[in-house]
Amino acid sequence: MDNNQRFSDRPTSLPPPFPGQSRMSVPVSLHSTRLVVRPLPTLPVEIIATILDYVPVSTLMRCARASRKLKEMAYDDSRWVNKLVAMGVWNEGEARRRFEDALKKKRLAQAKLAEEERKRRAASIGASVETRKSIGMGDTLFDVNEQEAKANGSAAAVAKLAEDAELMSLNTQSEPRAPVDEKPKLVGVDTSDPTLTVLSDVRSARGFARQEYGRVYAALWPYYIDLVSARNHADPVVFRRYRNPEDQAVMLRQLGVFSESDSSLGWSERSSRLNSMSSIFENAVLREFEGGYEESDYDGRMKRYANVLILLNGGQGAVDLFVAKHYLMFERERLGNPMDCFTNLHSADLSMEPARQFFTLLSEAVNEQSSIIDRIFPPHIDVMIPFLERIGEDVIGEYISPLLEESHDRDIESYLKCVTDIYFSVVQFSKSIHPAKGSEKTFTEDITKIVVRIFEPHYDTYLQEELDHFRRLCEEEVESWEKKITDEYTATESFYLSNINRQADKIDFLASFKKVILMPVNAIPLPPMKPINLAFPLPLPMNPFMRPKPAVTAPPSISDAPTDNPYEITPDTQINGGAAPPTPISDGQMTPQQQPAPTTELAAKAAILNTRMEGIRTLFSIELALDLVHKAKAALERAGCFVRFKGRIGEEAKEQCEQIFICLINILGQRHVKSGFDKAVTHLSQYNPRELSTAEEDEQVIVKPLVQFMELVNVGDLIQQMLDVFYEQELVAHKLTDKNDFLNPAIKEKKRFEQMLDERVAAGLNTGIDVLIKEVDYVFAKTQKPTDYNPGIVGDQNLPTDLGPSEAARKVVSLVASHTKLLVGSTDKNVLDVFNQEVGMRMWSSICKHLKIQRISIDGAIVLISDINHYTQFIVKLRNSGLTQYYNALRELVQIYLIDPQHAKQMAAVIADGTRFKGIFTVEEVYEFVTRRSDWYQIKKDVEKAMYGFGCSVM
Amino acid sequence: MSQITLLSSDNVELKVDKEVAERSILIKNMLEDVGETPDQAIPIPNVNEGVLRKVIEWCEHHRNDPPPPADEDSDSRKKSTDIEEWDQKFMQVDQEMLFEIILAANYLDIKPLLDVGCKTVANMIKGKSPEEIRKTFNIQNDFTPEEEDQIRRENEWAEDR
Repeated sequence: MDNNQRFSDRPTSLPPPFPGQSRMSVPVSLHSTRLVVRPLPTLPVEIIATILDYVPVSTLMRCARASRKLKEMAYDDSRWVNKLVAMGVWNEGEARRRFEDALKKKRLAQAKLAEEERKRRAASIGASVETRKSIGMGDTLFDVNEQEAKANGSAAAVAKLAEDAELMSLNTQSEPRAPVDEKPKLVGVDTSDPTLTVLSDVRSARGFARQEYGRVYAALWPYYIDLVSARNHADPVVFRRYRNPEDQAVMLRQLGVFSESDSSLGWSERSSRLNSMSSIFENAVLREFEGGYEESDYDGRMKRYANVLILLNGGQGAVDLFVAKHYLMFERERLGNPMDCFTNLHSADLSMEPARQFFTLLSEAVNEQSSIIDRIFPPHIDVMIPFLERIGEDVIGEYISPLLEESHDRDIESYLKCVTDIYFSVVQFSKSIHPAKGSEKTFTEDITKIVVRIFEPHYDTYLQEELDHFRRLCEEEVESWEKKITDEYTATESFYLSNINRQADKIDFLASFKKVILMPVNAIPLPPMKPINLAFPLPLPMNPFMRPKPAVTAPPSISDAPTDNPYEITPDTQINGGAAPPTPISDGQMTPQQQPAPTTELAAKAAILNTRMEGIRTLFSIELALDLVHKAKAALERAGCFVRFKGRIGEEAKEQCEQIFICLINILGQRHVKSGFDKAVTHLSQYNPRELSTAEEDEQVIVKPLVQFMELVNVGDLIQQMLDVFYEQELVAHKLTDKNDFLNPAIKEKKRFEQMLDERVAAGLNTGIDVLIKEVDYVFAKTQKPTDYNPGIVGDQNLPTDLGPSEAARKVVSLVASHTKLLVGSTDKNVLDVFNQEVGMRMWSSICKHLKIQRISIDGAIVLISDINHYTQFIVKLRNSGLTQYYNALRELVQIYLIDPQHAKQMAAVIADGTRFKGIFTVEEVYEFVTRRSDWYQIKKDVEKAMYGFGCSVM
Repeated sequence: MSQITLLSSDNVELKVDKEVAERSILIKNMLEDVGETPDQAIPIPNVNEGVLRKVIEWCEHHRNDPPPPADEDSDSRKKSTDIEEWDQKFMQVDQEMLFEIILAANYLDIKPLLDVGCKTVANMIKGKSPEEIRKTFNIQNDFTPEEEDQIRRENEWAEDR
């Protein structure tokens, strides 16, 4: 304390006195005593440390000389590391490595250290002097240091340990030279000037951060402080010293980095001045660059100044200027006017030729530019992408926007086409561009991004329009079709009921249908086939008409080839070869080159069916369905282009594709097919066999609405399969939708459609059977003569000559048989079984009902038995064991009519014998049948007596 | 606006707005711990009346300053903004008072004031010789002249030329 006070009186220039001297000065002692009474406050160490953060480096280093404590603070390595970090030249990894290396070698080298150090010092000084001479530059402390650092390169750890000492010694060396002198002597001619590379030469070594920073500081601080205090841009030493724009750029850049480490008070003002200096310089260089551009001096001025700008700040300014100045940005019209694409003033006709021309010209211009870029810019600068971005935005964007808007205003359809055409043109264009040397590996992706950006403003409208247009189109089609049908209704009605040529039609249809199905049909990627539902409740007679899934998606199996699953053989070539020829409409309407296979196959099926489908054309039209599918396909193909875009656009395009599909299903399914089915079902239910007079004498009585309905089912099936193929081929195969996502709206919609179809078919079949049974009842009522089973009633006892079945039985069987046969081959086996069972059951109850209103004599019983046998035979052919049981019971039953009236007891035993009829008839029912005997009133008493008497005896 | 009373080391009571006093994190925490406005004076044992008045003056002027950003050492460099004009005038006091203010700010935990004080000191010692620096900080030279000269040569690069 007292020392301090005494020293303070001395002029600072004098060296501090030795402590020993102090004791001699009495007044000073007194003076200090006075101060002890009221001491100046002292600041704690941490506050001093904070203060040191705010002082400039020069002051900091003087503080280091004040005391050991302050030196420790000022020398603290982290302080200097922070500065290096701020300049971005500190490499933590390198520092760690050096530190570890040094630690290892330190132990080995410790013994020799002192000697080594001395030797090295001598050697390096010599070396640096030599280099200095050879370069012919003024020798500076940093120069020397630099050269030495290079010389040191190989001698790693030892050198590092010695470095501190070296630096000191070098400082000592260069001390005599006045620092001010060194500046004018240095002539920065090329990069061999170490000042120009001082930043990149910084090494990261723990414990040496101060020395490293010191080198940088010494090299740059003078320029820095001079530059920020300069009044105008001609003044700064750095510009006077470095004449080369390249060198100037490097220096400015280094100074910019260096300013990051300047954290003492006033730094913000300094760095903003530096920045403004830099931008003045940059602007000057840019003017030069521009001048070169105007003279097209690519290899000379442009190349040079581009380089200068790159040295200065990465060359962004040069790239921007270069891109902005390009003639294409101003002379877009030279490449073509978008309005040229419209062939005349008002119509919507578009010719893509001018657009193609435009893109060809543009591609040429761009590729030419690409080679110019290669000449001007060094390879590590990517100019092509910014250039293309601008081209995309300003040239292509400006070209296509009016074109699309105009065509949108004129006609939607041509607009939709136009969008995809333009899209392909742009893609083509992007492919035709050669990457410049400086282009990154991601060039292609970057171009794709640019293309996406070009279309960004348009795709929203486009997708919406696509969907709306499709929906509108579909609705129009369906509406016009419906209208046509209504118009023709009167005409068709008669046709509908008159059965002209129905038979031939039906057979033809079924034959061709079989052909289509049996052919190794298609490339349909099968939807997951459920195993054939054998658990289907066979003996259950009622309500079995929910069609199982396989019936819908699988092809109707053919009875003579039940194991032949046509989906297992799926060679595409066969499809084309086999199915294509008989297609009348496959060529004109649907030949998109990309997928001929599914289209042709669909067309084949549809065409064959369509020609045979006259009978149901009033209900719905497969041709119309096909047409809609085409339109959907076209729409999807157009919209599908945009799915390739990643991100938002792709997602939205995908969604829109699904929407199109949903729209297709809705219109086709809900509006078209459903209403067709509904109409058919109504027809069926309104059908009254009694009004049908023409077929009365016909052996092959046909309930036409049922036949028609069966065909309708087939067509519905077909449409559904078609949609399925469409879904698989167009949506799933092109990855427009995720098949496994059960929440996906497209899948849900598809399911709904299938369900709707199932319901309609079930309802239709139900109604159909009703109609058929009504017909059966009608036949019974009409043809069963009372004499059939009771020949004696009319009078003379002429016994029936032939013992065959009655006419009514024959008619009924042939009627039912013809309908069940109808289904064979056109419907799935399971459905057929269920259908047969239902028909058999209902026929059985019809027969029972019929029996209960007949009178049967013993003679007539023969006829009845042969009738029942006739029915049973027919039923047996259906191979349905449940049904057979019922008919067998019936056969047993009718034998009661044969029993002679004298054997009342046996009759009673038969009636009471429940097991005889396997529980199918109850005793009461059998009793009821017995009452239909013609001699019932004569034997009633006996039988009842036998029954109840018999029963009493048991009791 | 509730007021509280501060008691300086030389037993002078000073009334001050609570909001102003809460520029001091020390007092703020203390008040929070107590819960409500205390009736008694809060003793500030390390700070005498003159200094305390000065500190309060500063707090009055800066009562509406936004709180300093929470992240302390994220970018230490950017925080070393220059001293604003009012503060510069405020700090035009003798060195003793300046140091007292810094110590008081340190004790009372008023970081912005501490910063201003440190910056003022930094400006004071800028460009001064080691001897002057020693004097300013009231510290002793514990180097031999050779040692001091050695350090000077070591850091010759930092000298302004």
